[in-house]
Amino acid sequence: MFDQIDPRSSTPLYAQIAERLRVAIASGELKPGQPLPSVRQLAARLRVNPATAVQAYRDLENDGFVELRQGAGTFVREVSADRRAEERRSQARQLVRSMVAAAGKLGVSPKELRAALDHEMGARTHE
Amino acid sequence: MSNAIETKDLTYRAGKSFLLDHLNLRVPVGAIYGFLGPNGAGKTTTIRLLLGLLKPESGAIAVLGQPVPSRVREVLAGTGYVPERPHLHLSLTVEESVRFHRAFYPTWDHAWAAEQLRRFGLAPDRLLRQLSKGEMGKVMITLALAQRPELLVLDEPTDGLDPVVRRELLTAMLEYVSDRGATVFISSHLVHELERVCDWVGVLDRGGLVSEMPMQDFKNGIKRLVLAAPPERMDQAPFQVLAREMLESGNEVWVVRGWRPEMLSWVQQQTRGLREVQDLDLEEAFVELLRTARSGSTRDPGRPLATVMV
Amino acid sequence: MFRAILFTQWKWGRLLLLMATLAGFAIPLLSVQGLNTTYGNFYVVMSLQAFGIAYPLLAASAGLLLSLSAWTSDHRGRHVYALSLPVARWRYVLLRYQAGLLLLLLPILGIWLGAILATRFTHIPAGLHPYAAALALRFALSAALAYTAFFAISSGTPKTAGIVLGIAATLVAIQVLASAAGSDFNLLRPVFDRLFVWPGPFEIFTGRWMLLDV
Repeated sequence: MFDQIDPRSSTPLYAQIAERLRVAIASGELKPGQPLPSVRQLAARLRVNPATAVQAYRDLENDGFVELRQGAGTFVREVSADRRAEERRSQARQLVRSMVAAAGKLGVSPKELRAALDHEMGARTHE
Repeated sequence: MSNAIETKDLTYRAGKSFLLDHLNLRVPVGAIYGFLGPNGAGKTTTIRLLLGLLKPESGAIAVLGQPVPSRVREVLAGTGYVPERPHLHLSLTVEESVRFHRAFYPTWDHAWAAEQLRRFGLAPDRLLRQLSKGEMGKVMITLALAQRPELLVLDEPTDGLDPVVRRELLTAMLEYVSDRGATVFISSHLVHELERVCDWVGVLDRGGLVSEMPMQDFKNGIKRLVLAAPPERMDQAPFQVLAREMLESGNEVWVVRGWRPEMLSWVQQQTRGLREVQDLDLEEAFVELLRTARSGSTRDPGRPLATVMV
Repeated sequence: MFRAILFTQWKWGRLLLLMATLAGFAIPLLSVQGLNTTYGNFYVVMSLQAFGIAYPLLAASAGLLLSLSAWTSDHRGRHVYALSLPVARWRYVLLRYQAGLLLLLLPILGIWLGAILATRFTHIPAGLHPYAAALALRFALSAALAYTAFFAISSGTPKTAGIVLGIAATLVAIQVLASAAGSDFNLLRPVFDRLFVWPGPFEIFTGRWMLLDV
């Protein structure tokens, strides 16, 4: 789930890591009570500064997505269905925002973009 | 002690030619500090001065709160050093090297060293002379980390190594920092490698420090702006323009430093032709910075651009 | 720390130490092989004297090679390793020096043992006395002196060592050329006298290295 960490993005690495985990929790990929890798493991696996891993977990803790149990590690918290849905909506908005921006750059009109979106969505639902 | 390494007007001359010119470094405690610079910029010389292997011509050095070179033994007792080229006794075996090295460090963690060598797959009876470059790197990092140092000084630790070994070395270093919270000073001309790892960056070129700041500021502060038409007035630009380039399309590309998101409105006010604000990766930012430093056109943010604008 | 340094020097010098020890053990024994006492004490002393040159040669070469082997590895790494260890330079040099002195005990013991055995199993004519301990002591002092001198040279940079050896080689070369040209000019004589005649520092090497003497 961390494969898309991009050190070149202007989004700080810690925010990217927190984001990936938030998405995984919102989508149910990570279940409540499930332990997350330790800071040491996370830093070594992603080859990032341990401080970055700590900051990502702190961010998630502030959002109420994970809890830090003293001496035991970091665990996924029970997140309400509403909250998970909100997170998914927020992700959707972000996706669309970047898509619209990219389309603008390419000179794709809003109408063309919407048509392409409908087409893709239609193809998906028919599969 | 808030800085693990601090130099004040550090100057060094070797013969007449090479010079470290009034270098002012500040490496905060707990930072992973990437010391970037092209080959020959003076990175290794700086490191040798920090560890008392060379004597400065003038200026002051403090490492781990101790003045260098006068109290360099205390500094070395708390510092793990991996030099650019292997420095160990090549006629000893891996195990003999460990025994030799640990005799000098009362803080030596024997169990950890043995475990790490096993994980690296280094047979204790191999002669150092027979090791590959990567295996030698593994021995050196193991020795440096098993000292349990407060400060790690790594001089181009992964230069010329294959990606697998490079990763293993970085992982060992990061695990140590996770466990111990040590300060790391790592020099490299391989910018990509440091992009994920470092939280501070110092850029050295031709013996002078071009820039020193937190990684996030470094990366976010340098942007490429694509403009359809240059603004009418540039004399109050809140950022510094490092480079300007005309494209065949008629667009103009600026590389700016000291960028903050709120400056977008200023640009939009000045010109309606702003097409794009592009992110630069560390390497691009590094190259732009060096290019400008060398052409000598570095200006303070906010200074007028009149000489360039015609 | 000392043990770590001693170990490295043992590893680098063990072959030459072994050879020096064997040679030291053998020389006194060889010197009394077939010693003919029938022609009188003068003859005995003369034939032992022929071996006298072997002891100072062994002492000098053991000292030279041991001091070189102690520093080769550090020189190769341009001393970066030693200088990055948390130990003062003078202390590191002293430890290396002490380790070498300790290792030098091996050839000294070899000579002593050889000398004891040689005197024990030889019929010593009346009027002659065995000097096994004195010979070993003389050897010990010479070897230590040679080791110290060469150590002082080789602990410096290769450049210093090169300069010293270069000067010596030049002197010898000039002398050889001068002799070849049939000149009486003697350059080395005063240098040797200054060094090897009392109160010169290397006086111990000259003189009589006798296992048996009056």
